Order: sequence, then C-alpha cells, then structure tokens
Amino acid sequence: MTFATRSRERSSFLDSYARSRPDFVLVATYIAISLLGLLMIYSATAPGLEARGLDPTRELKAQALFVLVGFVVFAVSSTLDLTEIRRFVGPIYIASTLLLVVVLTGLGDSEGVAQRWIDLGPVQFQPSEIAKIAVILMLASLLARAAVPLTWTTVARAIMVVAIPAALIFLQPDLGTMLVFAFVLLAVLFVAGVTMRQLGFLGVATILGTVGIFQLNLIKSYQIDRLTAFIDPGSHELTLSYNQVQSEIAIGSGGLVGKGLFEGSQTNLQFVPVQSSDFIFTAVGEQFGFIGSVVVIGLFSILLFRLLSISVAAKDRFSFLVTAGIASMFAFHIFVNIGMTIRIMPVTGLPLPFMSAGGTVFVAMSAALGLAHSVWIHRKEPAGDR
Amino acid sequence: MTSPLRVGILGLVMIGLFSILGIRLWTMQVTEAQAYDERAEDNQVRVVLTPAPRGDIYDSNGVKLAGTRSALAAVIDLALIDEDEREPLSQNLAAFLDESATDIEELLSATNRGSQITVATDITDAQATFLLEHREMFPGVNVIPQPVRTYPEGEVGAHVIGYIGKPTQEDLDERDDINGEDVLGKAGVERAYDVALQGIPGVVEYKVDAKRKVLSLENEVAPSAGGSLILTIDSEVQSQLQVSLQNGLMQARRLEMEERRLAVEEQSRSQRVAEALSEARAEALEKALEEKAALDAAAEAGESTTTTRPDDGERRIGPVEVDETEVLASLYTGLPIDADGICVPVQRVTIPRGGSATVTGIEPRLARYESVAQFGGELAADVIVEGKSYRVKEGERFAGTLRVLEISEDQLILNHSDTWCPVRAVGVVLNPDDGSVIAMSSYPTFDPSAFVDGLSNEQWTSLGTVSAFTNFAVQGQYAPASTFKTVPYVLALEESFYPIDRGVGDKEIGQEPTSGSTSTTIPDGDTSTTVLDDATPEDPEDVVLKPLTSDRDEYSCTGEFRFRLNDGSFQTKRDWKWPGGHGPLDLHGALQASCDLYFWDVALRLWNERGDDSGIDKENLLQEYARGFGFGTTTGIDLPFEREGLIPDRAWFIAEQREGSPRVRQDGSWVGGDLMDVAVGQGAVLATPLQMANGLAAMVNGGTVWQPQVVRKVVDQDGNVITENQPTIINEMDISPRTTALLLADLRQVVNNQERGTARSAFADFGRGVYLVGGKTGTGEIIKAPRSERFRQVDSAFFVGVVPVSDPEYVISVVIERGGSGGRVAAPVARQVFQFLLNGPDGVTPIAPGLDAD
Repeated sequence: MTFATRSRERSSFLDSYARSRPDFVLVATYIAISLLGLLMIYSATAPGLEARGLDPTRELKAQALFVLVGFVVFAVSSTLDLTEIRRFVGPIYIASTLLLVVVLTGLGDSEGVAQRWIDLGPVQFQPSEIAKIAVILMLASLLARAAVPLTWTTVARAIMVVAIPAALIFLQPDLGTMLVFAFVLLAVLFVAGVTMRQLGFLGVATILGTVGIFQLNLIKSYQIDRLTAFIDPGSHELTLSYNQVQSEIAIGSGGLVGKGLFEGSQTNLQFVPVQSSDFIFTAVGEQFGFIGSVVVIGLFSILLFRLLSISVAAKDRFSFLVTAGIASMFAFHIFVNIGMTIRIMPVTGLPLPFMSAGGTVFVAMSAALGLAHSVWIHRKEPAGDR
Repeated sequence: MTSPLRVGILGLVMIGLFSILGIRLWTMQVTEAQAYDERAEDNQVRVVLTPAPRGDIYDSNGVKLAGTRSALAAVIDLALIDEDEREPLSQNLAAFLDESATDIEELLSATNRGSQITVATDITDAQATFLLEHREMFPGVNVIPQPVRTYPEGEVGAHVIGYIGKPTQEDLDERDDINGEDVLGKAGVERAYDVALQGIPGVVEYKVDAKRKVLSLENEVAPSAGGSLILTIDSEVQSQLQVSLQNGLMQARRLEMEERRLAVEEQSRSQRVAEALSEARAEALEKALEEKAALDAAAEAGESTTTTRPDDGERRIGPVEVDETEVLASLYTGLPIDADGICVPVQRVTIPRGGSATVTGIEPRLARYESVAQFGGELAADVIVEGKSYRVKEGERFAGTLRVLEISEDQLILNHSDTWCPVRAVGVVLNPDDGSVIAMSSYPTFDPSAFVDGLSNEQWTSLGTVSAFTNFAVQGQYAPASTFKTVPYVLALEESFYPIDRGVGDKEIGQEPTSGSTSTTIPDGDTSTTVLDDATPEDPEDVVLKPLTSDRDEYSCTGEFRFRLNDGSFQTKRDWKWPGGHGPLDLHGALQASCDLYFWDVALRLWNERGDDSGIDKENLLQEYARGFGFGTTTGIDLPFEREGLIPDRAWFIAEQREGSPRVRQDGSWVGGDLMDVAVGQGAVLATPLQMANGLAAMVNGGTVWQPQVVRKVVDQDGNVITENQPTIINEMDISPRTTALLLADLRQVVNNQERGTARSAFADFGRGVYLVGGKTGTGEIIKAPRSERFRQVDSAFFVGVVPVSDPEYVISVVIERGGSGGRVAAPVARQVFQFLLNGPDGVTPIAPGLDAD
C-alpha cells in the first residue's frame, strides 16, 4: 500500500482549515456527550450540595470550565498536522515517562492509596492521562516504520514502548489504567499487521505474566479483592462493593424510561457515592432508564464509528495507527466504565470519556480526540474529490 | 490481511463489547426492573424493633414469682453517629456512667452499622434527664423504656423458675425471633416457655436518606406483651420444702461431723481409719513397685539413672512408709469446713504465685504456691503445704484433700474437697392424681434476681462450685436403693411370684460361717463379697428349698445370702442389717423392714426361671415393671435438661461392654447377681428424684403414670387462657386394687410400725395424722465407676412418701446426696413437709435425726 506524500510547504492555520471539511458528526457527538455529562454532574451533585447549604452549581461550574478549556484544546489539536508532530514524538514520550517517575517519587500527591497526581499550585494534573497519548504516538511511530507483516523484533520493541510507562503506572498503583495500555497495545498491533502466531504468543505471555504477578505477590490483596468482588459482592456489599451494588440498584430501578431528571432517589439521596466521576453513568441509568442508557451508548458508538472511519481514511500509516490507538483507548474506557456501573466489570477507576467529572481527563481526552479529528481534516483526498 | 479489514474486525469487537453492555442493561432495567426497584426501596427503609414486656410467672394461688418493673435504658443508634463523633461520645459516656472508656468503645465497635445497642440499663430518672438535656455531648443516644425482670419471692421456686441472661451466639443462630439485645430464659420455665414469655416486639418503620437521617414515619405496630405462666407450684409448700431441705442437709452435715469426731477419738478401733491406712499403704506400695520397674527397665536399656539411691547399685523395696497425719487429715482434721465449723463438700482455693492461702479445716493448713515450670509439655506447679513440698500438674490430687484445677503463671486454683460431706438435698412433691408438681427444689439454691444485673465473679464461682444453679430434681441421677423395692413388691403381688426360701433347715438365723472354713473378703464396689475358700461345707443344694406361694408366706430374712454361681463358685451378699438379719418375714414385713434378701430372692427366682416355657420374658420382667412405672426414660416434664435415668438389662450390659465403658465388668456377661442388684435399686440402676416420686405416685394411684408438669396454663394480659396443659397419661399399668391397697398399708407401716418400720423414729413425734402417712426409705451409693473413689462407700439417703394413705393427695421424694441412711436423714425432711401439709405451719416440729436404718 502506498501513501501519497504531501508537500512540505508550510500551511497557515486558516488554509488547512479551509482545505478539509471538519467531521461534523464527530464534533456534534463530542459536544452532545460533553453537555450531557455536565447535566448529569449537576443532577448528581446539586441536591447534596443544596442539602448542606452550599451552592448547588459548584461542581457544575468547575466542570464547565474544564469543558470550555477542553473545547479549545480540541479545536487547537484539530489543526495540528500529525506528520509534523511526528518528529516530536520521541521527546514527548520521554517527558511523559519522566513525569510518571516524578509522580512515584513523592513529589506526587497521593489521594487514597495511589499516587497519581502532581500538584502545580492551583492545578493538579494526572501524568498518566498524558502518558496514554504519548504512548499511542510512540507506538504508532514505531510501527509505521516497520515492515508488514511485523517481525518479532518489531513486536518486542512495541512491547517495550508500552511496558515501561505501563509498569510505572502499575507501581502507583493504578491497575485500571495499566490495563488500558495493554488493550491499546493489542489493538494497535492487530491493525498494524501482527501475525496470528505472534498474537497467540502475546496471549500466552499475558496469561503467564498474570500468573507470575500473582505468584510473586506483586499484586496486593486489596487489589485482588477489588478485581473479583464484582462477581459476588456478598460480604463486601457494605464496604468494598458498596458503590457497585448501589449503582446496580440505581440503574436497575430506573426501568425502561427512568425516574426522570432529578428524580433519581438513589442518586439524589446520595446512596451512590463518587457519582459525579466514576459512576456518572449511574445517574443516566436511573434517571433516564434503558432508553437513556441506550442513547448514551449510541452516541459513543457513533463516536467510535467515526474514529475507525477516520483511521481508514488517514493519509499515512502513522496517522492511521494513531487514530486506531485513540479509538481503542476510548472503547476500552467506555466499556470498562459502564460495565463497572452495571457490575459486569470490576471497579477500576477508569472514567467515562467526556462525561466523568475531572479536569485533566477531559482536557487530555479532548486533545486526543482533536488529534484524531486532525487526521480527518488532513486526510488523503480521494480521487475525484474537489 | 489488509488494514481496513483489520480495522473492520476491531470495529466488530467493539460492537460485540457494547452489545454485552446493552444486553445486561436490558436485563437489569427491563426484565428485572421490579426486583431492583424493591431493593432501592429497601435501601431507604429502616426498621426499629420496640421490645415487648416479658410475661409474668405466678404460682397456683396467684402469688407472683416473676414479674417486670418498668425502667429506663440508654441506647445508641449507631447509624446516627459519624466516625469522628465516636471517641468523644465514648469518653463522655464513660465519665457519666462511671465505666471504662475502653469497655464502651468495644461495645460500640462490636456491632453492625445501623443497629441499636443498649449502653446502660436501669438508669435513674435524673440520669435520663441529663442525657436528654445534653444531647450535644451524647449524639445518637436515646432513652427508652426497657423493663427489668424481678423475682419478688427470691429463692422460692428458683429451680423451677430458672433465670434469664443475654443470648449466646448459638442461641442467636437457633432462634430468629430474638436479637443480641434481648434477654433469654436460660433455665427452668423461663427457658422452657421462653417463646411464650417473650411476646412479639413492635415495629417502627422509617424512611431515611443515605445518611440514615429520618425523613418520615412509615408504619408503626405496637408490641404485644408476652404470655404469663400459671404454675402448678404452691409457693407455700415450696417454701416449706426448701426450708426442710436446708434443715435436712445441715443436720446431715452435723451428724457427719459428729461421726468423724468419734472416729478420730476411737482411732485405732475405727474401721474407717483402719481402712484408710491400709488403702494408703497399698497405694504407696504400688507406687514403689512402679518406680522399681521403671528403674529396672532403664538399667536394662543401659541408661543411667538420675536418682541417687542410698545403697548404691542395690535396688530393694524397703518398708513402705505412710504418713499417718496426712491420712488423718484427709479423714478429719484437714477437710474443708465453713465458718460454723461444719463440713462443706467443696471449696475453691486460689493462690497467687509467690503467695499463700489458707486451706480450711479443723486444723487449717497453709498452702504456698512457690513456682511453676514446664515439664514434658505441661505446666507443673511447686506447692508447699504445711512444710511438705509437692510438684503437681493439672488434675492431680495431693495433700489428702486437694486437687489441681488450673495452673497459670499468675495463680493456682485448687479444689479442696470432702467426699463424705453431705452434698445437697433434693425434693419433689407431686399430685398423684394428675402429675402436677406442687414443689420442687434442690439445696444449695440461688436467687434468680442475681442474674438480672449480672453476677459477680465471686458469686458465680461460689454458687457454681456447689452446682447451685442445677435442678437436681430432674438432672440428678441416683441409685434409688431400697425405695425401688416397691417395684419387685408390685411384681410379686401381680404375678403371684414369690421367692423360694433357702438356707433354712436347722440353721439359726445370722449364723457365722462354720468353723474350720476360711474365707477372703473382696471389696466389690457394692457390698463386700465373701468367697469361701473351702468349697464344700455349705453347698446350697444340701439345704431345704421351700417355695413361697403367697404374700403371707414367711421367708427367712437372714443377714447373709449365700448362693452358687454358674461356674461353681459361691457368692455371698449381705443385708444392710448384718449381722442378725430381720428374722422370718412375709412380703409385707419385708417391705416394712426393708429386707434385702427377700427381694434378691425374687430376682434370683426370675433369673433361674428365665427361658422356661411360661411365655413370659422373666429375665426382663422386673425391668418391664420398672419401665412401666416411668423409670429409665424421661418423663417429658416441661423443664429443660431432664435426665432419663437407667434401668439396666442384658442388652444394655452388652452394649456397654462393647464400648469398653468403665461402668461394667469387661469380662463375663450379665448374671443373676446383676438382676438382684436391680431388684434393690442398686448396681447400675439410676433414677431422678422426679422419677422416684412419679413412680410411687403411679403405684399408689392405681397404676396411672402421669406426665409431670409445672405449668398449668399460659394466660394473656387480661387473664384469658392462651394455652392450657391438660394432664397427660404416659402409661397405664394394670395393677389390681388389692395390690394398691396392700402397698399403701405397708407404706403406712414403714412409718408407723414400731418394731420394724424403718422410718418410725423419724416420724415419732409427728403429731396428729401420722397414721395417714406412708413411705419407703432407701440408702444407696452414688454412681461411680469402679476404682474412682478411694475406698468405702458413701451412702446417699432416700425417702419416698405419700399422704394421706387412705386417698393419696401428695407424693414426695427426698434425696440427700452423701447424707447417710434414709431413715436417719432423708425421712425427717419428708416428715416436716408432711407436717406442713396436714397440720399447717404450726404443725412443723424441728428437724431431728431418725433411726439409722435403710
């Protein structure tokens, strides 16, 4: 497969924007999901805040600010030309890996048991979010150069690229995010041309690796508990699995059409903790029922469909792999997060893209989406177009 | 594969994953929506139980024996307190209630979230007001009415009433109508009727938010009070019984002290002292032989012995020394006594390590707990008693009367016991017409009120050491001895089955073995058995056999009963009245004088005729009669923990042998001698005082075995009957009116016949109505495995009685465990109770010993 090469003339911002049509569907979906997210955050937090005599829109406003920033970031990254970014991939990757190390060394801020944040005065941000993008870029860059079908050496290198940051993240410890990397690696390798035999080998290696982790007690017992508790809450119902069980009850009791906005007794009376972030989907399920759940999943499906379409239309192999990586990253988040709220996945702390409250996450994901969008904007022109 | 295809496959994977989400959501939100809705509802509902007042207990005349009084309790609703409020709350409560903060902390953390726990019971109004007025100091604390159990009559009827306490984990597992906050009946009718007494708690339902803050009241159901019990017990008779039991026991103990004093004074001639010394010597010899054997074995194995022998290399058993003072101490001077100088069956002695304690006795001894060390995996303590050192492990006996209960680093706990001190007195009074229990008690007893607030460790130990909480009337099992003779008596009359008189000829009654023959005496556990070395002289086949054919035929009640066994050897059993015997007696005289031989001979005839063609199972006929009258099975009385007693037979014997039980001989089979023991209520026969009374009741009322009961009915707050216990017949024995009449007449003679009635002395100054009284004495051994008691039998005293003989209204049984003889110490107790029943409280004369007769 040959790729058309573009000239290296400098394009102005406006020029490039005018040359390709933006992906309206993607943008519309992105905005819709983000606004829905804001609505849900408000509905989940307002009653509680009001009951305590505080400003009910507090959380809403905070997130709205991040949403705005995210929109801007999205727009800006949409204009970037990936091929030009490509030469910065190496430094970006190294920088983000260093930041991960920084987090571990105690300059990081720990919240709960895990060290994930870096406090920069008025702003806190999570290096792991940036690492996700950096790793996708690095991985894509590596594999774009490689011959197809992939050699074992290439596969090994790909694994290394992912493994280092993944390990650092695992040590935070943030098991859930680490798994994102694993999934993304597998998906990207797959579309990049990995052979079935290599894939099989990776599968076996994963299993052995998991077993090894258990045997060497690298994984703590509470982590194991968290991973398995979703299967049978039982004795954990009042403690470890409390959130999940409450979420399950809330969503289930939503019925077909839901209880109505602000009428979710579980969510509004605060039976489901951490509602505005990890369990934001719960609010949807309870207040808008099955219909609402399907609408949200549908919106995400459209988003993913667009991302995959964009990847196929990419102008070069690098862009293609980056977009595929971004798509699989989003897919994993969505599936695991919603799965967690309905108790078919363990509690992992992975946020729901563009709906879960959280600044770094929204902005980082907006940047990633923006990059994918830019691939579309700078796509190769099909013969006959224009 | 090309990229777009692969991307397509990736897309399909995503579709697959999302489909899983969709399916699950469908299941949850559409198919199972109902179930989730309910769970969401439940989340929001909180249920609180309000306790129901416990039912009262009354005697048959309406006297209140157990009730409740209203009181206030302080409770905490844990769900309403935040984590950070807990510690200041504990501190405040600790200061306010004058308890330790750690105890309160424990209480608070030991329960599940969302429940209510009691933090203080029976608080004063002032305390309640303070708590409510200072809510900020005591968040989540509330004051609720919580009734407290009262026992207005104290000790009266304590064993029948029982007591209450907090439920154990087992109780909570078994019953789902109570929780950890309730009280539960633990013994007596409090336990047997606990469900009825509890009532049904009320329910209050609240709607709450996630913080458990109450939003609204949804539902309220009032509690329904527990049912009250009307007992068959008459508290006045009960009081008298308890007083008489106490009198009887104390008298028995005083008599025992007197006997000991005499024994020590006549030291060299006293049989008891002689036996004690010879037994002690035998034990010392055995121990020395064991030591020698061990040393010999060690020498053979080539090991060097660590003990130094005075004569090096030579191992001989020298003269065995026995400490006579120690033997005497264990017989008299060193036995435990109370503050009045009267014996006590057991006392607990606790010695701190490095310290000492006094071991009571007529000559008290000082015991010092020196040190403790590990010996072969166990702890061993070094103790010095009056200058003599001992090294002892748990379970060991030493210094004559002491036994080690527990060795720990801090202290040594010993039991200081006296195996001859009368232990307890037990009594039951029944109505023979319907089985209702009019009075029932054992002494020592207790006051159930003590349990309401919780017993102190001391109280618990001192009462527990003497088993004061146990109702021996249904839980104690004794060999009924001669009181059991009524069974072969009835059998003889009903079956026209009389013994074959032997040993008559020209023999004088009470003759010693003929000169020239020697014999060896073997302690047998029961009676001592004399076996003739010279087998020929008294061949029972030489004597004239004279079968009796009626109850009036006379039998030679000599002092000794010699008979030949299947293996050709002879056995001799001695009557309690030996030497001398009773003389010629018929069935009636035999019962009145309590002649053993007559009834042994009935058994022997049954034994010899077993397997004849009559079609009757003669081997077990006696047991059939006994079981027919209720012996050997539980009566089913409405009290907990009843024991069933035992009527042994061949089948039981074989089963016991198979298990290697120490209760039976290991070799040999069930023999005639065993059946003879059964006839006189000895051997392995066991009966509870309730069974003794119920059995006699059946024999005197014409053969109806009633099921005893203590509760007549259960009524609600307004007096309406909820349930009524109708009198139930367990069995009907077909005995003729003639038998009943004869039995009653003979029982009367036991009390009134001045020549041979074994209880005549006890009832001598009865007063008006003595001719209306009948009874039967008994003196027997308590159950023990062979070789468990050191030596010498210890007699327990029994008496069963009936009044009035003309038309029985009351049947009594009295047991004084290790008390002595029936006529001497048990009959006087019954005498007092009968005096009360016939002549009222003024008719009761002070307790006095009766004749020392079986």
